[in-house]
Amino acid sequence: MRDWLVARAPIFTICGVFSFPLRGCRRALLVGSVLLVTATRCLGAQPTGEAWQEILNSAPKRVLKTAAGANVSREEKLAEGAAWMSLQPSTDENLAKAAGIFAELAQGDDEIAAQAAYLRARLWQLHFLQPNYARAAELFEQLAARQPESHWAQLGLVKLGMLKLYVLPDVPDRIAAAEEILTRITEPELQRDLHLQIGQAGVLLKEPLERFLPHLVAADQIGGISGTAREDLIVQIGELSMRAGLPEQAQKYLELYLKEFPNNVRAYAVAERLAEARQLLAGKETAQ
Amino acid sequence: MKQKTSRLPKGLGLVLLAAAYVFSLWWVFTRSAPIKQDRPVTIRIAHWQIERGPPEGMEAVIKRYEELNPNVKVEQLLIPGAVYKQWLRTNLAGGTGTDILEWGSWLAGQKDLPARYFEPLTAELAQPNPYNVGTSQEGVPWERTFHDNLIGARRDSPDPGQVYAVTVTEVSVRLFCNLELYREILGEDPVFETYDQFRQALRCIGEYARRTGKPVHGLAGSRDNGLWLTQTVWGAPLLELSHSFDDAGYLYLYNRQVLGAFLEGRWNYSHPNVLAGLKLVRELSQSMKPGYLQLRRDDAMLEFFSGNAVFLFTGTWDATTIRRTAPFEVAIMRLPAVLPDDPVVGSYVRGPAGEGMGETAMAMYLNNASPHKKEAIDFLRFLTSVEGNQIFSEHSLWLPAITGAEIPESIRDFRSYRQGYALGQAPYDLIGSEVSMQWDQNFHLLSGENGSVEKFAAQLDRVMPAAIRTDLENEARNTLILVKPQDSLIVARANLADDTPEGHRHRERQHEMEMGQTMSEGLAFQMKLQLDRTK
Repeated sequence: MRDWLVARAPIFTICGVFSFPLRGCRRALLVGSVLLVTATRCLGAQPTGEAWQEILNSAPKRVLKTAAGANVSREEKLAEGAAWMSLQPSTDENLAKAAGIFAELAQGDDEIAAQAAYLRARLWQLHFLQPNYARAAELFEQLAARQPESHWAQLGLVKLGMLKLYVLPDVPDRIAAAEEILTRITEPELQRDLHLQIGQAGVLLKEPLERFLPHLVAADQIGGISGTAREDLIVQIGELSMRAGLPEQAQKYLELYLKEFPNNVRAYAVAERLAEARQLLAGKETAQ
Repeated sequence: MKQKTSRLPKGLGLVLLAAAYVFSLWWVFTRSAPIKQDRPVTIRIAHWQIERGPPEGMEAVIKRYEELNPNVKVEQLLIPGAVYKQWLRTNLAGGTGTDILEWGSWLAGQKDLPARYFEPLTAELAQPNPYNVGTSQEGVPWERTFHDNLIGARRDSPDPGQVYAVTVTEVSVRLFCNLELYREILGEDPVFETYDQFRQALRCIGEYARRTGKPVHGLAGSRDNGLWLTQTVWGAPLLELSHSFDDAGYLYLYNRQVLGAFLEGRWNYSHPNVLAGLKLVRELSQSMKPGYLQLRRDDAMLEFFSGNAVFLFTGTWDATTIRRTAPFEVAIMRLPAVLPDDPVVGSYVRGPAGEGMGETAMAMYLNNASPHKKEAIDFLRFLTSVEGNQIFSEHSLWLPAITGAEIPESIRDFRSYRQGYALGQAPYDLIGSEVSMQWDQNFHLLSGENGSVEKFAAQLDRVMPAAIRTDLENEARNTLILVKPQDSLIVARANLADDTPEGHRHRERQHEMEMGQTMSEGLAFQMKLQLDRTK
């Protein structure tokens, strides 16, 4: 109803004013009508919570439709930037509008500034048609330097770690570069995410097992991983521990796997590896 | 004689008729709900399982649910598989999707749907299902009540850390035999202890058809049935090879790993193990009617029902239809495994290829635009409770997905699985759409009279490098398509989080999304790295 009123307010005003017969009254009505239009426009500006909800509902157009004026709060401005970022089809022109808003907001030192700075870096990393990983890395570093304790700076460090692990040029030792970033992350959940990435990258980069297996174990120990990622991680630590000559650790994880996922298609192979781990451990005991 | 004239103006009838027509159009398009609604909330569930069984099973569950919940009406929409994809996309994009929808990762071109339109159920699945009070599953987290702990739903999730679906049934594949025809041709009942015995039976049927001129084939053929059969048998010689590039130690392979390993030169179609697998595929192809790749599963079913094929290899999802429709006695059996003692390809086989312990299916997703999410989740809880799932199983004769739900006697054997190695999604033929297309286009080189395993492999080795690169690029691109929209959603959740229960939920989702996004992004980066390294 409110949208309907807002959209039609100017038409009602014009019709109302000019249908009135007396000239003096028309003037008064005109002033009144201007006030009415302004009021309905104010009514039209969305509360920020609603704007965020619209973004969650994949309706950024509605946020942009009602975004207006210079007197909007920083949070409203951030929602507008997020809406430009989410608008489909995604174009560099729309993303540039988002980048402009984020750059302005990032000058502050509050939570909004941190969110804006984070999103600005993400635009360069992921959203523009031609990503600029170096620019994104630079922006993540700047955010971490300005507001190191902010959740968004910490999340940005995880993303920076991934850039170093996978794509930034001239990183001689990718694992070491990511490990250095890991020391700057204080939130356990974000530490876990980067540990996991270092572990996965280690496989692909064909690093020695002892360099990346501890990161997988660390990710598991922090906990909170769900879905297929958890299942993969448990079997992975078990199997890679076998390959690394760590039968005790292998046994622990393979047993855990069979306990948690007894019906999985992998259970047969896991049971076989577990039997091998037990045999190795029994052999060790006998030798001692 | 003076004619009696009407006082009403001419053409008023037509005008009234047109007005009535316009009014009814408006009514149908804007108010298609019943005029009188007895129950305040209506939720709708859509699926494509229009075979015999599931619609009846679902209807029985709905009836019981409505008895327990007088405020909720549940409507079942049966959408034929042939139009399901288009129906799904159009309705979700138009905001008219049903509250609960079936979805499968194999629906071509629909991989983006879960991230865009479905709501994760991870938090709900971690809690016990209240409808299981008083059963063996009381107090057990909902996710753990599924016979397979929702393997498929977890694997098909757009975020590796989220679960988006619950499943209703469990499926396996079986060999259905026309007993009368088999006895007529071979003079005995089918009993196969080894794969080679099955191979010999197919050979005998082929000889019989040639000798008598009857249009009988060993296997009812269609693209679908052919693929299910192929994937069941040719995995055995590939196990050793697949295991050799399981660098991640998953004891399982994802498509991206198979594609990456090809680009790294670690396998090709002329590899001895792949050739052994192709040999098995050629044998089976020659027992189906020529050109079967152009046919669909309904055609194969028709061929089987009309007595022109001795065996039909299909999923247990067709069992109820076959039992109720076939005009002859049907025996249902498991296809024997290809083992190391097989006389044709045994030397390439490491061990038995496993069927796992059953994977639950008929995955139901919650539409994130549903106006009745609470009621929809509640219905899903009942549908997948011990009681609800048992009702579904009894009326559909499809296996239940829930532990504790009793399996009807007539389908009890469907839940006995062969144990063995399984390397997951490594079919080598369906790794991606380009690979599948090249496989299909060149398949005549394998299955044709003048074809051969070597000719087919040589051709695939020529055309597949480009196809495989394209598929890996697409897989990386699709992953990023899922990842990108999450940035603004994560920030939106963070700004909606507060001390209210709803606010807590936003905070929880924010952190879940951050974890899932990082994981998915990592996968996209890994694929990019593989592509860059193998240019």
